[in-house]
Amino acid sequence: MSKEFNKRKLWRDLQQALLIALLAAAVGLAVNSQLLWRVLSGRTLNAVPATVDGPAETTLPLPVELAEVRELQGSTTLFIDARSRTAFAEGHLPAARSLPRGEEVAGVGALQAEVPLSTPLIVYCSGYDCNDSFVLAEGLIAAGYRQVRIFEGGFPEWRDAGLPVEGAQP
Amino acid sequence: MTSLRSMLYHGSRLLLGALFCYAGLVKALDVVAFAGSVANYQLLPYQLNFLVAGLLPYVELAAGLLLLAGLQVRPAVLLVAGMNGVFIVALFSVILRGLDIDCGCFRPGGEGHTSAQLALLRDAGIMLLALVTWFCADRRNG
Repeated sequence: MSKEFNKRKLWRDLQQALLIALLAAAVGLAVNSQLLWRVLSGRTLNAVPATVDGPAETTLPLPVELAEVRELQGSTTLFIDARSRTAFAEGHLPAARSLPRGEEVAGVGALQAEVPLSTPLIVYCSGYDCNDSFVLAEGLIAAGYRQVRIFEGGFPEWRDAGLPVEGAQP
Repeated sequence: MTSLRSMLYHGSRLLLGALFCYAGLVKALDVVAFAGSVANYQLLPYQLNFLVAGLLPYVELAAGLLLLAGLQVRPAVLLVAGMNGVFIVALFSVILRGLDIDCGCFRPGGEGHTSAQLALLRDAGIMLLALVTWFCADRRNG
């Protein structure tokens, strides 16, 4: 009977713990609703106004979805390919610039000399398992670029959507 | 409840509560930096890192406040132990994958660097505190 009582008590505690977690998460959702909505919907275009001078609004690159990446093709946004030079040569997003992870010290310096810090940048690499775009984007923000975002689907998502690719394709 | 057990109970409860209040507060104050710390673990899709960063600090804060106030202690301890268990699994995966990242446990995006090994040791201590609080609370109520 005592065992049964303890079991019931544990079950009740678990239910209460779950309820507390849900309530706390709801508060977090309400407090951070704007940021989370921007991030989860991929609508981060106006997160940092292009005309604003000064430091970046955030120290972390926000994500951008394929649909928006498509819309931004041909705009002032510069696409940065964080993959190796070999992968870049085999195929990349139209008008993308190669800046491989591992060459970022010299690469970011060269970029700063040519590209104004107010230019919106989208960094990509080899898709969801690739962390290079995230690390490079952090470096670009640290270098002073104010609008840096990550296209997490990267080259594979772009290619698999049947969108135009530059460079030698098999 | 003997005085020693009572001291153990209140000591571990207050320490655990203060730890989680502090951890939750510093993360809640800089969600974007904490999202970066979560992203460093390379466990979730990039966007989900922001969701975790937006919600987790408030769960930590709630559990910490309840422990400090001495309310719903057993459910709060279960929450703390559950979160700590997840942190331990994540830290083990960091060690197994050979990642050299800051654990992001208390100072997301900060200058300091707490290795996964050190963070695991600290989490083991937190788990011990949770166990002590749980059993003392059990005797106290039972």
